[in-house]
Amino acid sequence: MKTEFTFSSFALRNVKRKPLRTVILIIAIALLVSALVFSLSFVRRVSSSIRLASERLGADILVVPAGSRGFAEDVLLENKAKSFYMDKGIINKLKAIQGIDSLTYQTYLTTMQGKCCDVPETVVVAFNQDTDFIIKPWLTEKFGRKLLKGEALVGNESAFNIRVGLVEVDSVLFGNIFKMVGILDKTGTGLDNALFIDDGNLEDIMRKGKTDLKPGQVSIVFVRVKKGLDPYKIAGEIEDSFVEVDTMARKDIGKSIITTLRDINYIFIFTMSLICFLSGFLTWAIFSAIANERAREVGIMRAVGAKESHIISVFLLEVIIVGSIGSSIGILCGTSLSILLAKTFSIMKNLPLHFSIAERIIIACIGFLIGNAVCIAGALSPIQKIKKMEPLMAIKKE
Amino acid sequence: MAQIEVRELTKIYAVGDQNITAVDSVSLTIHKGEFVSVVGHSGSGKTTLISIIGGIMKPTSGQVLFEGQDICTFDDDRLSEYRNEKIGFMFQFASLLPMLTAKENVMLPGLFRKTKSTGDPGTAMELLNVVGIGDKCDAYPSQLSGGQQRRVAIARALMYDPRVILADEPTGDLDEETENDIMQLFRRLNKEKEITFIFITHNRELAGMAQRKLRMTRGNLHEI
Repeated sequence: MKTEFTFSSFALRNVKRKPLRTVILIIAIALLVSALVFSLSFVRRVSSSIRLASERLGADILVVPAGSRGFAEDVLLENKAKSFYMDKGIINKLKAIQGIDSLTYQTYLTTMQGKCCDVPETVVVAFNQDTDFIIKPWLTEKFGRKLLKGEALVGNESAFNIRVGLVEVDSVLFGNIFKMVGILDKTGTGLDNALFIDDGNLEDIMRKGKTDLKPGQVSIVFVRVKKGLDPYKIAGEIEDSFVEVDTMARKDIGKSIITTLRDINYIFIFTMSLICFLSGFLTWAIFSAIANERAREVGIMRAVGAKESHIISVFLLEVIIVGSIGSSIGILCGTSLSILLAKTFSIMKNLPLHFSIAERIIIACIGFLIGNAVCIAGALSPIQKIKKMEPLMAIKKE
Repeated sequence: MAQIEVRELTKIYAVGDQNITAVDSVSLTIHKGEFVSVVGHSGSGKTTLISIIGGIMKPTSGQVLFEGQDICTFDDDRLSEYRNEKIGFMFQFASLLPMLTAKENVMLPGLFRKTKSTGDPGTAMELLNVVGIGDKCDAYPSQLSGGQQRRVAIARALMYDPRVILADEPTGDLDEETENDIMQLFRRLNKEKEITFIFITHNRELAGMAQRKLRMTRGNLHEI
């Protein structure tokens, strides 16, 4: 039987020598990495959801009633049922502003189950099909026609969320019967949970008196600026010209959430630094003990020809084995936690899910690298110390 | 040319505020294939002397020329290669790695060779048979007696055909019969392979088996 052993198998045997100590170190690294993966997933998920949602809206500027920025964000990012209105006359006023390429508007109505509608609380978006550039990109190809009066589309997730179920069913919205005729593609915005109707239906809806919408009102105007112009400059001009409205440039959508997120980020960074330090310290303490215990063995290895680099290899492999096992467990736990606990955070509950496999892999890699880096950093000083010992002194060390 | 030439070798240990001279201006010439014993009281500097010759300790001053090259000027890598390729060590205590089997311990120096091959397990088995513990090849050191561990260490020292064997009381834990077997093996290897042997012993009889006998007294070396 041929017996071959390598530095890796050598290190693996060392790892197995004191199982309890190894398990403690693995748990420490796993805790560090799982906390890291969880917090990175949280922050990345929220920020990328907001970024993508704002990008996908397809407008450069949003014009909303004065004081309604937060309401607009609630609807567009989180599909919170909110109503806010301004006079439709603003559309003609905006057309006079130089640099505006196109604009469209939407009116938001809030359903209330049992009072006006037979669907749970959600937002009904009335949009103008002639000017629309917000909804059109998400209309499925197979739909291929304009919405008629009494017809509605459901957002990609609303079919599930409001339990409308299958299309081709009738629902009562504000006292009018609407036929659900199709499902929108996923937009990645709060609109995924909404229902969509042509704004030609609003007259009938108001006639039934089951909404507080008044004739000639709209909720939001989406503006596209001409190529090469600065949306911020035009948004400023709109606000200066019309006191009754507020504006939001595309990049500012979700700014309040992102600001809050930044504060959460600082707390995460502080906590992570603390955990990193503690894990590093634990690794240092354990490897200092290991180095002391194995001084004689290192001396023997040196006496039979091991170079300093060989000693480093053996110890580093040991560190990497422990770090990799701990990090892998941490990645699994952190990712599971981020999925399982996502819905317990209201900020995540309402946000559209924007978290690709690629992002998860990147976060897992970051977790893996940091887990191993902390392990290596902690073990480096004891390893340096032991490899520098004169072989005879190491052999004689008790 | 001498195989080993020690020139004015001194080793001073700092113990607290005191300096203790373990080896005091020792000069020595050893030729290839010599069979040398070193005797002396405990603390006389025997172990320090052969440790410096073997490159596991740096002297305070002086030179150790091995085949004309001063090993005291070698950097760590070169000194490690020297220990790995030219020297076979036998310590006065069990010097096995606990997580390796007897056979793996014998093959250990191969792990640090440039080829990074632990060598032929057949040779390791052969050597374990020679030292009389072939049947324990897969046993771990904790499953072996002190004497058996010592035999594994001897097999390890012989594994890669070293030019010089430095042995610090190599048969200390062994019974008389095994002691004689081991010494016969040393003599045979010395004659057949021209391996130089320098061994420390307290046993006058064993010392007498050497063709050249040295005595260390308070750091000074004398021919007997």
